[in-house]
Amino acid sequence: MPRLGPGGRPGGPGGPGGPMGARINREKPKNTKGTLFRILKYIGKNKLILIMLVVLMAVITAIDVLGPMFQQKAIDTISFYDGRLHVDLDSMRFYLFIMICIFACSGAMTFFQGILSAKLSQATVYEMRNDLFKKISRLPVKYTDTHSHGDIMSRMTNDVENVSNAIAQSVTSLFSALLTLAGVTVMMLYYSRIMTVIAVVTIPVTILVSSKLAKFMRKYFVRQQRLLGQINGHVEEMISSYKTVAAYGKEEEAVEKFWQISSELKKCSISARVWGSIMGPIMNFLGNFQYVILASLGGFMMIKGYGGMTVGRIQAMLQYSKNFSRPVNMIAAQYSSILTALAGAERIFDIMDSDDEIDEGRDNIDIASLNGNIEFTDMHFGYVENEPVLKGLNLSVKAGQKIAIVGATGSGKTTIVNLLTRFYELDSGSITIDGKDITDIPKENLRKAIAIVLQDTVLFNDTIRANIKYGNTEADDKAVKAAAATAMADRFIERLPDGYETVLAEAGSNLSQGQRQLLSIARAVLAEPKILILDEATSSVDTRTEMHIQQAMINLMKGRTSLIIAHRLSTIRDADMIVVVNDGVIAEAGSHDELIKREGEYYKLYSKQFAGQTI
Amino acid sequence: MKKLFSYMKPYRFLAFISPLLMIGEVAADLMLPYLMSFIVNYGITGIDINDSEKGSEIAAAVMEFFHGNDYEAMDIIITFGILMLAVTLVGGFFGVFCAYTAARAAQGFGNDLRCDAFKKVMSLSIQQTDKFTTGSLVTRMTNDITMVTDFMEMLMRMFVRSPMFLIGGTVMLVALDLQFGAILLCAVPVLAVVLAIVLAKAMPMYGLVQKRLDRVNSVVQENVSGARVVKACVKEEYEYNRFKNANGELKNTNYSVLKLMAVITPVLTVIQNFAVIAIIYIGGLNISIEKSGMDTGTVMAAVTYISQVIMSVMMTTNMFQSISRATASGKRIREIIDTEPVIRDGDGNYGENTDTDVMVEMKNVSFMYPETVGRPVLKNISLKIKKGETFAVIGATGCGKTSLVSLIPRFYDTTGGEVYVDGINVKKYKLSELREKIGYVMQKSELFSDTIEGNIRWGKPEASEAEIREAAEAAQAASFIEEFGDGYNTFIAEKGASLSGGQKQRMSIARALLRKPELLILDDSTSALDLVTEARLRASFKQAAAGTTVILIAQRIASVMEADRIAVIESDGSIVSIGTHEELMKSSDTYRDIYASQNKTNGSDGKAGV
Repeated sequence: MPRLGPGGRPGGPGGPGGPMGARINREKPKNTKGTLFRILKYIGKNKLILIMLVVLMAVITAIDVLGPMFQQKAIDTISFYDGRLHVDLDSMRFYLFIMICIFACSGAMTFFQGILSAKLSQATVYEMRNDLFKKISRLPVKYTDTHSHGDIMSRMTNDVENVSNAIAQSVTSLFSALLTLAGVTVMMLYYSRIMTVIAVVTIPVTILVSSKLAKFMRKYFVRQQRLLGQINGHVEEMISSYKTVAAYGKEEEAVEKFWQISSELKKCSISARVWGSIMGPIMNFLGNFQYVILASLGGFMMIKGYGGMTVGRIQAMLQYSKNFSRPVNMIAAQYSSILTALAGAERIFDIMDSDDEIDEGRDNIDIASLNGNIEFTDMHFGYVENEPVLKGLNLSVKAGQKIAIVGATGSGKTTIVNLLTRFYELDSGSITIDGKDITDIPKENLRKAIAIVLQDTVLFNDTIRANIKYGNTEADDKAVKAAAATAMADRFIERLPDGYETVLAEAGSNLSQGQRQLLSIARAVLAEPKILILDEATSSVDTRTEMHIQQAMINLMKGRTSLIIAHRLSTIRDADMIVVVNDGVIAEAGSHDELIKREGEYYKLYSKQFAGQTI
Repeated sequence: MKKLFSYMKPYRFLAFISPLLMIGEVAADLMLPYLMSFIVNYGITGIDINDSEKGSEIAAAVMEFFHGNDYEAMDIIITFGILMLAVTLVGGFFGVFCAYTAARAAQGFGNDLRCDAFKKVMSLSIQQTDKFTTGSLVTRMTNDITMVTDFMEMLMRMFVRSPMFLIGGTVMLVALDLQFGAILLCAVPVLAVVLAIVLAKAMPMYGLVQKRLDRVNSVVQENVSGARVVKACVKEEYEYNRFKNANGELKNTNYSVLKLMAVITPVLTVIQNFAVIAIIYIGGLNISIEKSGMDTGTVMAAVTYISQVIMSVMMTTNMFQSISRATASGKRIREIIDTEPVIRDGDGNYGENTDTDVMVEMKNVSFMYPETVGRPVLKNISLKIKKGETFAVIGATGCGKTSLVSLIPRFYDTTGGEVYVDGINVKKYKLSELREKIGYVMQKSELFSDTIEGNIRWGKPEASEAEIREAAEAAQAASFIEEFGDGYNTFIAEKGASLSGGQKQRMSIARALLRKPELLILDDSTSALDLVTEARLRASFKQAAAGTTVILIAQRIASVMEADRIAVIESDGSIVSIGTHEELMKSSDTYRDIYASQNKTNGSDGKAGV
């Protein structure tokens, strides 16, 4: 799988499920039993409900046995003697009354059982989803940079859904099937040990057959879930970039690709269904096989006079044999949905088992007391092995300084930011803030000390107010307005009909790119960070607005450190120090005037801003 | 649902066959008890198979066929045992075949529906996909369609089974005694009313469940694609709570539906059992008054039949849950399928092109985003852009520059006035023909998870390798692409997250250049480029895009000053002045202001400017 080279951002090992189906996926052999066990552990978290459910099911199963008994007794009150039928109506009424009581009870209990199992399944998937989300938020940026977002979404919805359905439907029937099996086995033992042994032998055969089948079939179910994830990924990608798709008339191609994945999913689903449906007949066959063997053996024993076998016993045994196969068939009917759930669960646990972001820092620093001296020492870093982006970069930033980082595109400017915020980890070298290595600072504290505005703004589907307050939830309205004013966002916000309460459409598409950048800046301003990073933060903002923002920023950033990555001369000119990054190291540093005088890299980059006709 | 059923049409043969095969399976299921009873009665209990009253002619005939007249009890057990297994196998074969046909029909149906729905989405206008939101469209395309497909499959497999038992049981019951029929007549309406109430209540709730699922999906999407900001703001806890909210709502809604559904099974069992009790009691009463034809056997048979009838209703309860789920999901899919794109192909009747040297013309154009209130984004804009001209647009943040150019490929329609491309009203074009003329580079580069070559090739699928290289070269992208280990075959990760802003922009430009469009729109698409690269880019444009009309939006004066004409858009959305750099420096205060802001007099720009 070809991956990224130098100057690029992440890269890293390929993740599962390229949404376009362009990547070939291997099926990792997974431990089905382990997955099952982990699901059970989730279910087990709600012990109280589980225990209540099991007790209820035991009682209901018992009633299911008692009911027919009383029914028989009621019918037995009809008897034939003296040449005609007689009915003992009184005792019939008595038995029928008992039946009414029993069934009313069982009805009520079945209702509670239904409620409890709904509660159990919902509570379980609720926790599973929460855990999965928590895990996703702990994953390193590298993971989300390299994995299909739609596929992650599919795991969160479709896969979890399948687990939920299986728990709601299968777990209860599985439990009651097991209870029935146990009850029937006890009754059978009472009648004939040998025949019980023969009957029970089919259980391991059943388990063996079903697990062998499962092993063979699981690839279809796993593939099915993965293809569903790919469809999710394709839809998500095409829709979130729909303008480009439309601009290039790529709708048909997108549909074509969708059709490819979708047809593959169809084929895979058919295979999964058909193989899943084989389980029913197999179990049926095994059950009937058991019946025939028991009948033959019983008959043989009776004829030979072994074990005191009588007609009544054989009849009873055969009746129980039928009862035996019913729950087994019930489980077989759920086989497909269980396998689907297992395949889904595997994909969920796959994320849960990914490595967390490293966060070993234990040195609880007081953010308020930070000064903001940053020391970058001999930084080496590459997103892909053997393709270094930074090659021994050194930079010393004094507290309160405004540093501009410039350089050709892809020279590693943003990489410095990625490393300072620890989105990525250094290969070698170190970064210290006020002399403290950033790896010793808990990430939470480190990032709280830094506010960062990225070129690709991220706004949430929420009100403008909430979006600005994102960096500092405690801020009051006055502070929000002040921050918006600093970022020159107040004017356009106030012109909106709902002002600060305007809910931003998805990805802020009802605002212009420049306005979105202004909101992001307001967010950073409100966070009152010790270190402010502006990574091409004003690239879509017109220069007059930018000039005003800068003036406000100068006041704001007094005593704070700021790192500014930009291409515009107007953005960087006033910096205390301009550093030029070239080929992974700092080529030169100094003030604008110094660097122009030196006629080095910077001069080459910037002397032509207004004379750009020739180069 | 009706419209969705029409998607079943191509599979009607399979859909017809599948239930028939089910009859085979049911027949086998019905035969088995008989075979079992033969084993018990004649093999084990020792009843004479030829007994006039308790014997069975069929069983005797079978035995005679296999063994002649000389066989023992053990032979009966083994013969019928083997027959039993054979019937099981045949029934199983029918069952699997039924599953196969049902799966093929349902999955084919689902596939067609899914593809059609996606095709529809791809034909919608931007304002419409925006309204649906990505999260919701994704849920509909997978989760909702799966629901409907599963339902169809279940329908085919249950379609025959339940009614067969239902009708058969009812007929037998009424034949036994009309009074028993009356009991059924009492039980069934009660059942029907309960089911109707539950379903009527559940249906809208399932719609709500899917909506909640949309919300969960959206939060996940926001968090995954905004991971950097969430982490930078240390908002993991906050986002987790937000997710927990969405997830909790989903859980609660799901739980209330399931709670509702939990009513069905107990009500059914209670009704079933009460019906059994009623039958026994009525049977008892009848016997006590010595009604003719009523005996223990009749009562027992009646009990069996009524259980069967109600059981067959019960079997469909699983279906009921699917029905309401599928209906809710079906409604959401129909919302997509029934949506007509707002912006549609024109009639393609282009007529006479009067103004041959004008590429783009706008006449009194005003514009507001659909479903917004407040002041219009663009006000009364009129302009003409000549063929081959480089036309720059400059103006304050949010003044409507992007809105202006997005009217040209008809991403949106104007609210007033007309837009002409190549002398023809854009509304007359077929969308694909209109957009083919245009190379559009967005402000926010949108790349796809594909190779670099694949991404550039978007511009022109049939382009040769040399053309792609040429376009990359012209876009100043060739140098960094070739530095990658895999060059043009380097795979771009999710949304180009693996590239720097400037690299993404240059790839987008290469993509647009590859088309060799008549009109090239560059919407602030060099903002992340350093000045040297940008200058080189401009230089190479002169060759690569010679003769092409270029509309250029930019913030830097340096980027626009070479343009043939520059339009300055005021922050109220109107154009105040159009002219060359020199003209505007003289005539436009706004332009001079912008120039000054980038060329601030702090003593150094004298040198910088040279």
